[in-house]
Amino acid sequence: MEYYSSLGWKGLQSRVALFTLLYSFMNALSATTLYLLGEVRVDVYVSLNILAYYISYAILRPHTSSRRVRVLNGALIALFIVIAGYRVYEVLTH
Amino acid sequence: MDFTTRYSSQRLGDCDMTSRLLILGLNIVVLATLLGAYGLIVGDNGLVGVSASMGLVGGILVIYSSAPVEPSISSLVSYTRTLVNAVTSTLEDLDLLDSKLCSIRKRDLYLLVFSKVPCPSRVDPGIGFTGGSPYLAIPIEPLSIETPGLSSELSDKAIEDQLRSILVDELSICKSVRVESESGFYRVQIIGLHEQLREFVKYPVDPYTMITLSTITQITPMNCTRLINRVNLPDGILLVTRVERVAE
Repeated sequence: MEYYSSLGWKGLQSRVALFTLLYSFMNALSATTLYLLGEVRVDVYVSLNILAYYISYAILRPHTSSRRVRVLNGALIALFIVIAGYRVYEVLTH
Repeated sequence: MDFTTRYSSQRLGDCDMTSRLLILGLNIVVLATLLGAYGLIVGDNGLVGVSASMGLVGGILVIYSSAPVEPSISSLVSYTRTLVNAVTSTLEDLDLLDSKLCSIRKRDLYLLVFSKVPCPSRVDPGIGFTGGSPYLAIPIEPLSIETPGLSSELSDKAIEDQLRSILVDELSICKSVRVESESGFYRVQIIGLHEQLREFVKYPVDPYTMITLSTITQITPMNCTRLINRVNLPDGILLVTRVERVAE
């Protein structure tokens, strides 16, 4: 919170700052809720984190052309597909 | 008039934010690692999940700290507008609106020269006369890049990599860059221009042309890069350049 308070309202107007705020908030909420519900599967935490990232990204669109961000987006969607695919495979084989 | 120097100093304000983001991200990664280790020791998979999630947040913040932020674009737009206004009126006064544009390296000094004489050899920063024609020479400070070695033959791939590194990765002002070379000519195709900078390509000077010319001059063994033609494309620009050697 110190980071955001030091940025002030002007800093928060930046989409990147707003994106990090929204993403961190959604992630803190989902992780806390899952932990309090007694969830022990690590991939559930990670997949909800990725969902929170994409929801925040779709709402605020902080970057569109930076190569690092494009690579990150690709890596996260690949990780999400692997996790979802593994869960589907698990359901089908049991 | 020193476009890139002033632009770089403006970017220092953005560095403050990105360095804070980097420190925040690294701190979160360290905390996540400690929490994950504790979770593994006590056998709490829930804590491991929380730490994995935290670690991902930290990693994403670290990556975003290295990406250009919006104020960089805003300051680039602001200084480009100032430069375009100043240069356009000066070129009108000097009757140089139909002049040739080139980038010249004189020892450690890089100049963007508007003149009716292609690649004039004796120019100094500012306004002057060479070869019976007036010229306008703007000192520029090229963005720092790794030069592949001035003595080596310059390939179109090397130029493409450098331009992509600056325009796409560093400044994020276009989506892709393609370079083709043919007997001393380099055809630089810049696609996906930033919407706030697109309007400047119709003026005598724009950031894409400036950066392209100065970058080629910086890494080429020759000391002059001349703009032969500039063509506006539906979603980009095509710059045809030629590298030459002029007497310093």
